[in-house]
Amino acid sequence: MEKLADYGIKPLAGAKKPSGGKWNVMEKLFLGLTLDQYIGQVVRNKFNWLLAAIMAVGIPFIIYRFLFGLGAVTHASNDYPWGLFLGFGLFCMVPLSASGFMLGTACEIFGRHDFEPIERLALLNGLLGYFFAVIYLLVDLGQPWRLAYPMVYAWGPAAVLFLVGWHVAVYLSVQVAEVSTSFFEWIGWPRGKEFIRKGTIGLTVSGIILSTLHQGALGALFTYAPGKVHPLWYSAEFQWILFFTSSIFGGLCMVIAVSTIVIKTMAWRCDDRFKETLDDLTIKLAKGASMALITYLVIKIIAVAHDNEWVYLATGWGAWYLFEILSGVIAPMILLAYGIHHRLVWLVRIGAFMAVVFGIVLNRLNTALIAFNWKLYQEVPHVAEAIIAVTIFVIYIATYRFILNRLPILYAWKAQPDAVPAAVAVSASPEREQGTPARA
Amino acid sequence: MFGVSNWHMKGLLLLLLTLLLPMGVYAMDAPESVTIDTIAKYYEPVEFDHAMHMDVAEDCSVCHHHTTGTGATNPYCSKCHSENRESATVACQGCHSADPFSAESIRRQGELNLFHDDLIGLKGAYHENCLGCHRQMDGPTGCEDCHAKTDAGERLYHSGKYAPEPSTHSAAEHE
Amino acid sequence: MSKVSRRKFLAGSLAGGVAAMLAPVKKVLASGDFRGFPDGMGVLVDLTRCVGCRSCEAACNKEQGLPAPDLPFDDDSVFDETFHHGTQKRRTTEKAYTVVNRYEPKDSDQPVYRKVQCNHCNEPACLTSCFVKAYTKTNEGAVIYDEHVCVGCRTCMVACPHNIPAYAYSKVIDPVVKKCIFCYDTRVSKGRPPACVEICPAEALTFGKRKDLLRLARARIKSSPEKYQQEIYGEHTVGGSAWMYIAGVPFEELGFDTTLPNEPIINNVKGFLGMVPMVLAIWPALFTGFHLLATKNKDHDHHDDSHTGEGEK
Repeated sequence: MEKLADYGIKPLAGAKKPSGGKWNVMEKLFLGLTLDQYIGQVVRNKFNWLLAAIMAVGIPFIIYRFLFGLGAVTHASNDYPWGLFLGFGLFCMVPLSASGFMLGTACEIFGRHDFEPIERLALLNGLLGYFFAVIYLLVDLGQPWRLAYPMVYAWGPAAVLFLVGWHVAVYLSVQVAEVSTSFFEWIGWPRGKEFIRKGTIGLTVSGIILSTLHQGALGALFTYAPGKVHPLWYSAEFQWILFFTSSIFGGLCMVIAVSTIVIKTMAWRCDDRFKETLDDLTIKLAKGASMALITYLVIKIIAVAHDNEWVYLATGWGAWYLFEILSGVIAPMILLAYGIHHRLVWLVRIGAFMAVVFGIVLNRLNTALIAFNWKLYQEVPHVAEAIIAVTIFVIYIATYRFILNRLPILYAWKAQPDAVPAAVAVSASPEREQGTPARA
Repeated sequence: MFGVSNWHMKGLLLLLLTLLLPMGVYAMDAPESVTIDTIAKYYEPVEFDHAMHMDVAEDCSVCHHHTTGTGATNPYCSKCHSENRESATVACQGCHSADPFSAESIRRQGELNLFHDDLIGLKGAYHENCLGCHRQMDGPTGCEDCHAKTDAGERLYHSGKYAPEPSTHSAAEHE
Repeated sequence: MSKVSRRKFLAGSLAGGVAAMLAPVKKVLASGDFRGFPDGMGVLVDLTRCVGCRSCEAACNKEQGLPAPDLPFDDDSVFDETFHHGTQKRRTTEKAYTVVNRYEPKDSDQPVYRKVQCNHCNEPACLTSCFVKAYTKTNEGAVIYDEHVCVGCRTCMVACPHNIPAYAYSKVIDPVVKKCIFCYDTRVSKGRPPACVEICPAEALTFGKRKDLLRLARARIKSSPEKYQQEIYGEHTVGGSAWMYIAGVPFEELGFDTTLPNEPIINNVKGFLGMVPMVLAIWPALFTGFHLLATKNKDHDHHDDSHTGEGEK
């Protein structure tokens, strides 16, 4: 895309062509490029080849799983009912998708409209994270075609998972509605957008309720297994609070991480407002995340103190636990604080990545897999299980990019072309021509 | 027969009994051998050599508790059963039910006034009693040391001619 | 109304105030916990009696129509099998709802055998964790499972403190949870003992009403204190279970998890479940209030429009 931009070709960013006519859906899908241009830029991008290669290997494994059952591709066993699909796919993707309700709340409820340039990215991050958590779930369920049973056929309302199921389902619809405004802009149906806009507050508040409950519920799921999860990762009283508070910094740091990747790799798609405000917004998001991190750390310590688990800290498990806390909570907290104070956006970003990888992913894997059955034995996931987990994540990335490339998430949709399109075109071309040799 | 509850005659009778009963039991009632076939569905009947076991055990109460009138060896039982009176029924199945979990037996379990509310069933009584001594005295302890499986038994245990192919089971250490 | 348990009450709270409709549960609520149905049946496993003949495994296999075993049921080489680098003994699987393991405790000259199967808890963790309510605790004490609603999430397996439910991972079309059902369909519902109890040659298994069995167990311990440990495993463990054990050596030497709480597993989850109606009730007003406070004197209609650019006016 950058190469095309060098030739003065701008990606589609509004409803109408510079000539005045409306883009049709097909043209919108091809970003306003000709077919040759579109395919050309897809093929030129080496990242696309990497994604395609992983999918080419992984999708047959997914098919294999549905043909030959879970036993053929996982080490899920009677002792380890849950493997990577849930341990990573559900328990990590959901907290990292808390961004939707966090920024929705900030913008719509607290009136922090300064967050608006990044609000849609956060909403989309939320929607896709949940959607793919459900995909992971579908791959993991023994009978995925019965996914709707707890909704319509067999209610077990006293179960925590019932709550998770319902809330994720409802919240997914809420997020679809929230993200649909950009889709309606893109497809060119303003009335749909207006309809959703009228319900924004309702949608956002229900988003907070549903998120509070099911983020916590994912933690509460492990309170069913007091003898199985290692005491350092288990707390009957605080498990749900720990999962909830960690989802707050998880969601915020995920937005920082995603926006970092976006600005580094997809700058052509970001409009000036996004580019100009991002550093400022990153610092603001980091402030929120560091509040959540310190809260989380305090509750973590309280949880250890409450059950008097200090003695475990001296064991091998304790060392592993301390590693998780240091790398996933304390180090990010220091990096964020220092970065905020000295306005070092790159430092904040490193901290955010650490919080995502060690604070959320490692913590959830520890709780669900590594420190699970600590009294029995440790299970190593099947290779095919890891391949499928990675493949689904790659499909997630591809979908994410596909949507970011098209819908007005990173840029503002223009109902009309720029005020003086001819002037822009004229003025733009010489600049580009001057710029090209310099860059080459 | 002896246990007629004529309490006035008690003193006199006791005197007679202590003299006569031990000999009488040995001489009159004890069978030479007993056929045990309570689990004949899966195992061939056992010809129990009663005479031989009488010689080995020496004291009837080792197996028959207090019922043969020789007094109970277990001090717990002898609290009640100290009198040397032969019971109306001496055979194992007289007390130990072949169907220990019938509705009636389960009702008995809940009978608070009943002392023998935890009465082991016939099959359990045999095995508990036999195995205890057999272990101590190096008697046979394997199932088929005493009773061979019937065809139905082999089918149930997937053994003998119903045994699974050995190839399906490889090593003792699994991952 | 004996069937209205605390679980149902919790269900009501979750549904958002439906609890008000369950007026007759007052008595149950007042007691605060559920100790099993009054006439619930159970089995007392006397490990001092078990001879390790594995007849119970054979009888279970036949009664439940399970696949043929890898080795004959009278082959005691299975007692030497270990799993996961020697750390694990045999456990229940989708092909074996009960297994007997051999232990060699240090204070015992004889090996001790322990039968493993579903303990049929009074307040089963599997039941309370199931989001399609596939499990039922029957009046007879059995914990049974409806495979026609099972989605295959396997939370029950995570929840079971005794590691009992097994999953048919090899199945593609209809993988379901497999576990001992107390021979409910064929026997216990008709007042007959389960197949394993009936076949047990040493009567290590005693079938009866749970409350009677508890009394019998205490009497056995009292009459032979030198023979038995004082505890009855399953009397209180995770809220008590229909199946209970007495043994001659400490339970932890026989592979029992003696660190399990005496409270039912669901009690761990109650803190969270109790919070749910609060969030449902309080959050909407709270956050709408925040919204009104935060956006007071501000132009409500302005927000987000800026995002779409000036073009839309």
